[in-house]
Amino acid sequence: MSMNLGRVVRLLSLTLALFLLMPAVASFAQTPVPPGPNTLTGPDVSNDQLLLQQLQGNLHGRVSIPDQKSAMLIQPEGQDWRALRDGTLKTVSAVVLLGMIAALVVFYVVRGKIRIDAGPSRRRIQRFNGMERFAHWITAASFLVLAVTGLNLVFGRWLLIPLLGPEAFATMTVYGKLAHNFLSFPFVLGIVLMLLIWVRHNIPNGSDIAWIKAAGGLFSKGKHPPAKKFNAGQKLIFWMVVAGGGVVAASGYVLLFPFAVTDIAGMQLAHLVHAILSVLLIAGIISHIYIGSIGMEGAFDAMGSGQVDVNWAREHHSLWLEEELRKGKAAGKPPTVGRQLPAE
Amino acid sequence: MARMKFLCDAERCIECNACVTACKNEHEVPWGINRRRVVTLNDGKPGERSISMACMHCTDAPCMAVCPVDCFYKTDEGVVLHSKDLCIGCGYCFYACPFGAPQYPQVGNFGSRGKMDKCTFCAGGPEDDMTPAEYSKYGANRLAEGKLPLCAEMCSTKALLAGDGEIIADIYKERAVRRGYGSGAWGWSTAYKDKATT
Amino acid sequence: MLVKRKPTAAGRGTGMFGSVAAAAPMDRRAFLKRSGLAAGGLAAAGAVSSMSMVGKAEAGPTTPGVEITRKKSICTHCSVGCTVTAEVQNGVWVGQEPSWDSPINNGTHCAKGAAVRELVHGDRRLKYPMKLVDGQWTRLSWEKAIDEIGAKLLEIREKSSPESVFWLGSAKFSNEGAYLFRKMAAFWGTNTVDHQARICHSTTVAGVANTWGYGAMTNSYNDIHNSKAILIIGGNPAEAHPVSLQHVLRGKEINKAHLIVVDPRFTRTAAHATEYVRLRPGTDIPLVWGMLWHIFENGWEDKSYIEQRVHGMDKIRAEVKKWTPQEVERVTGVPGDQVRKVAEIMAKNRPSTLIWCMGITQHTVGTANVRALSILQLALGNIGVAGGGANIFRGHCNVQGATDFGLDVTSLPAYYGLTEGAWKHWSRVWGVDYEWMKRRFVSQKFMEAKGIPTTRWFDAVLAKPEDIEQPSPVKAMMVFGHGGNTVTRMPEMRKGLEALDLLVVADPHPTTFASVSGRKNGTYLLPICTQFEADGSRTASNRSIQWGDRVVEPIFESKNDYDVMYALAMRLGFGAEMFKRIKVVNGQPDPEDILREINYGSLSTGYSGQSPERLRLHMEHQADFDRTTLKASSGPCAGEYYGLPWPCWGTAELKHPGTHILYDTSKHVMEGGGTFRARFGVEKDGANLLAEGSWSKGSEIEDGYPEFTYGMLKKLGWHTDLTEAERTVIEKIGGANPDGVSWATDLSTGIIRVALRHGCSPFGNAKARAVAWNLPDPVPVHREPIYTSRRDLVEQYPTLDDRRDFRVAHLGKSLQAKDVTKDFPIILTSGRLVEYEGGGEETRSNKWLAELQQEMFVEVNTQDAARLGVKDGAQVWVHGPEGNSRARMKALVTDRVGPGVAFMPFHFAGFWEGESQRSAYPPGTDPIVLGESVNALTTYGYDPVTYMQETKCTLCRIVAA
Repeated sequence: MSMNLGRVVRLLSLTLALFLLMPAVASFAQTPVPPGPNTLTGPDVSNDQLLLQQLQGNLHGRVSIPDQKSAMLIQPEGQDWRALRDGTLKTVSAVVLLGMIAALVVFYVVRGKIRIDAGPSRRRIQRFNGMERFAHWITAASFLVLAVTGLNLVFGRWLLIPLLGPEAFATMTVYGKLAHNFLSFPFVLGIVLMLLIWVRHNIPNGSDIAWIKAAGGLFSKGKHPPAKKFNAGQKLIFWMVVAGGGVVAASGYVLLFPFAVTDIAGMQLAHLVHAILSVLLIAGIISHIYIGSIGMEGAFDAMGSGQVDVNWAREHHSLWLEEELRKGKAAGKPPTVGRQLPAE
Repeated sequence: MARMKFLCDAERCIECNACVTACKNEHEVPWGINRRRVVTLNDGKPGERSISMACMHCTDAPCMAVCPVDCFYKTDEGVVLHSKDLCIGCGYCFYACPFGAPQYPQVGNFGSRGKMDKCTFCAGGPEDDMTPAEYSKYGANRLAEGKLPLCAEMCSTKALLAGDGEIIADIYKERAVRRGYGSGAWGWSTAYKDKATT
Repeated sequence: MLVKRKPTAAGRGTGMFGSVAAAAPMDRRAFLKRSGLAAGGLAAAGAVSSMSMVGKAEAGPTTPGVEITRKKSICTHCSVGCTVTAEVQNGVWVGQEPSWDSPINNGTHCAKGAAVRELVHGDRRLKYPMKLVDGQWTRLSWEKAIDEIGAKLLEIREKSSPESVFWLGSAKFSNEGAYLFRKMAAFWGTNTVDHQARICHSTTVAGVANTWGYGAMTNSYNDIHNSKAILIIGGNPAEAHPVSLQHVLRGKEINKAHLIVVDPRFTRTAAHATEYVRLRPGTDIPLVWGMLWHIFENGWEDKSYIEQRVHGMDKIRAEVKKWTPQEVERVTGVPGDQVRKVAEIMAKNRPSTLIWCMGITQHTVGTANVRALSILQLALGNIGVAGGGANIFRGHCNVQGATDFGLDVTSLPAYYGLTEGAWKHWSRVWGVDYEWMKRRFVSQKFMEAKGIPTTRWFDAVLAKPEDIEQPSPVKAMMVFGHGGNTVTRMPEMRKGLEALDLLVVADPHPTTFASVSGRKNGTYLLPICTQFEADGSRTASNRSIQWGDRVVEPIFESKNDYDVMYALAMRLGFGAEMFKRIKVVNGQPDPEDILREINYGSLSTGYSGQSPERLRLHMEHQADFDRTTLKASSGPCAGEYYGLPWPCWGTAELKHPGTHILYDTSKHVMEGGGTFRARFGVEKDGANLLAEGSWSKGSEIEDGYPEFTYGMLKKLGWHTDLTEAERTVIEKIGGANPDGVSWATDLSTGIIRVALRHGCSPFGNAKARAVAWNLPDPVPVHREPIYTSRRDLVEQYPTLDDRRDFRVAHLGKSLQAKDVTKDFPIILTSGRLVEYEGGGEETRSNKWLAELQQEMFVEVNTQDAARLGVKDGAQVWVHGPEGNSRARMKALVTDRVGPGVAFMPFHFAGFWEGESQRSAYPPGTDPIVLGESVNALTTYGYDPVTYMQETKCTLCRIVAA
């Protein structure tokens, strides 16, 4: 292993700082880490530490067995990882996820369901074709399982063992782990497809600025900033899923093939990156699910049937609609009879 | 109450690997799993020291803390054990363990690890003591027979000590006093608490 | 929670730790006993517990409820002699427990000892007899195998001569097996019978026996506790004898003893030294003379000791004078200050002990090295002193015993030599007619001629008939328990193997002999069990003899050595004579009865008092023996030394306690005291060879005296102490000249008994010889290795001239004349790894050990590696200077070796010039780990006295692969 403690801590700090979690790290990094799980160590100098000094802090030795990672006598960094995972990660995850849910509840209570201001037109336009929907749903379905099984590893021990008992929970978690491992592949397939299909629609442009300035009109009735096929909010979700999901997947594969790519320090880092990004992704996706379902009238159709109400399109994707109409693609035909709109 | 600890006297350890093969012998540990290993630091240079390392049965065990399925438990004697029935082979304990103790058979899909295996302080596992079921998963249960871990019992130079933390600390202290030089135990700092000698 | 075991679960609270957990902390003493720490950790914590307190194992690979029996045997891997405690259930060895009672190992083991249980599970053992038929391994029955081998041997005997069969025995035989094998060679009619001692400590035996009488470690491992300074030279006991380090480190800690390690390589032992001296390989004599230079210069020597007990020290002084600090530094590379420091430590911290191993012995100057070290100890007065001594750590588990029982081309059992008198003595012991015995040989000349040493057997196969001093070259090899990769010049050895008419390998494993050559026919493999599957005694390095019980019956179709030798002897037609005085039941000779015959005949070495009954008693009461003095203070063995270290004079009934420390004049001979042996006459060039003013405590002769004979008893008037029966025996043996019957040939043991009664050593009281006039270099002198890296020193310190001995040629100067340093600039040396033993076939087949060392390697110094562009872990080709030899292996880049020196472990085989030979082994018997052999690269070079091979300094070239 090549990373030393300082470097790992710096890297971890950097990672976390990116997510504005600096305060939690700072308090941790100030504590010198003893060479062992010495949480009970008092102020006295232990012989361990003395020997460590004599060895000039060199903890990498020689072993005759082929397993060269065992040549690392001790890795105090494990303590850092433990502290981050059991403390910071768990707290932050809980805060982020519960916070997001709370925010959405508040939003729902305050703003209510965002209606189509002009009311449904009963005229429909094709928004997403089969391929696009396939890409979306394969990503979505695998993500849901990945998220649930992943969160299970973080919170299941506290939430579910008391309910299920250790054996049932362990069995469930084993299958959860299997699902987590296998479903990573359709998830990656999904994000690759989405990237290929939608990347050209997701290049930020001028209209995004206006959209952002207006906060997408989310907080004010009747206000609808113009947007192309994807508005800035959707672009954010797109990039979050594609880039964030990509990094989550990559860091996950590092963990799936132990020591194939990196050493233990790398795996600890990969795990933290994987966990933190996943939590943020889950939070983002919760909001995405909200707005795509109960949060907004007419939104689900886009990924449901693939056809959206023209009035909905006009309000949320005016520029796209104009473009589509210009291309003569306006679907003048009436909607399918009996088609259910999203629940209201 | 006895608090079981290991302590490796680096002034004595000669990397003879008796601890390693004693462990293999006692528990029929399969090829590739090294519940115990000997690491030589500063190899070939003045100041070279070898240290025998395995699970140190920490008081506040990181493996236990991070396990997502809570498969670890601690005996009354302070031995950290785990249940292979519950273990899902996630590898978290390996990330957390400062001593590199957890071992994995590396079977299964995509390099996944299989059930974790580690030093049991010769104390078996959750099954009934000294049953074939316990042996097949965790190896012998010497503690239940009133014996100490075989690695330490067979250590060629008595460098590796195992037993109640207080007592082995005393033994180590006596040695250090008699030697009148250097130090070099490797174990749990808390094993000697205020008795640190230089 | 469900997974948490309740504190009161079954088994808890019942054992010792139950009480610890439940109530007050365990009694400290009880803990120390249990943990075996008393001896190693604390000064005087008393005896270590017996095993009675240990609960019965009920799990593990065991079946609950079936009785477990415990058997004690001796580890078969090195000479320390660790007791192995085996747990056996249903005839299966199911567990190993620490042997707390053993005063030698105190419960401990090394990697090998802790893994011996695997040997009798032996997945990769040879399972039934096999032979090569047109290159294919074919199974056959024992009867057929013995019959075919016997027929072929008799055919060779008929067509060539008995001298054309090479009997290669083993240091892994029990004493009884070794003795039987030597006896079998004698009854076959040749002295060409050898074993591993040739290649480990033959030069030690020759060197120390020629100095003070016996070829053995003078003190013991335990006695190192008493040393104030410990010098280890040419040895790496941390890897070769790990349990011995327990005693060394104890000495170091308790006495604050200095621990000096002299070695070209910074070994695991050196890591624990207080002073590490790195010297150029092959320059031990200059270093020792350099130390003596300071000792003499400063008057640090023990003058009265030298005067009383040493002959010829003046001649040593003259030689030592040449070795000024400057010259020592020029030749050895050791800084002058350090030599002085080491000399001063050894001189001023007496008793100081000297430990050496194969770094001293395996040289073209091996015997001279040993002699120089012996002389150093004599100058310091350290021989015959507790805490001093020449603590020679021997190699295999019974190499001392196998040497003692004459698996040696120069002697009959117990060092009687090959003279007519010796043959007559043993003929009497065996109950055969001397004339009959003589007829077994080509002639009396061959009966008294040294055989061919194992280092040269292939030269004796490949020799033209006119180049070998026997009727015809060697045509058959009978290999019992010996690896094929252990002798140097393996490319030549392969040729020799291919030229043999018959090759028989009797071993638990096929060994390199079976796999290394291109033989197609005439090769037999006989599965021999390990010593754990047989009863018998083993002699540890410290001369303690320990009885090992059979742990389990031989596995598969394997048989023990005794049974196979019996079957072979019967087939060869001399079985009835050979086993005349040995009980044989159902074709199985009784090892105890073999030992009784040994006791009867081995008077010269004091192997007569160690009856099987006494040895068993010692094993049973191990706990009674002191951990330092090895003396029992209570119990049925009170007053005796553990394992009755030889000499244990007289019959068992005499109750001699054995001799812990040889030549120790501070004790009465009946309490293990002694003097230097008088075996070189009483006078040399006008100088008295007997001790002057020195005698062992209680001696009635208060001066030196020669060895005892009947005639001498008469002169002293002590012959009247002999019983009538004893006198009758003596007179019968003596025939016309009863006065000439000596203590060593008096089968009544009367002479010994009477000498002891008067406080005298039966072998006399002489001076040790600083000058050994019968050796090529009576005073040891430095001679550069044949393949030396220092051409500038060759002229001044040349090797010996070409010569002949042991029936073959011995090249020296003619080879040294050639300068190969340009192409082969790096010194190549070799040594041991802790996980493996000897040729390594057995240990590389043990999965617990093999896992720990999976690849052959060469240690290359970091500077050399940088220059050669070799990275740690990379593959390299190593080329040797003879016959375009080469081998491919992993480079281990390390500062363990100094610049210009490379090191290889010698345990590997099964690769040849980069190619695996796995398929050459019979299916299922290939060792787990294979690798190139260092001896594929090692070169010519033999000690002139014993033909010990040079393994420690040759030259090589390393290139990245």
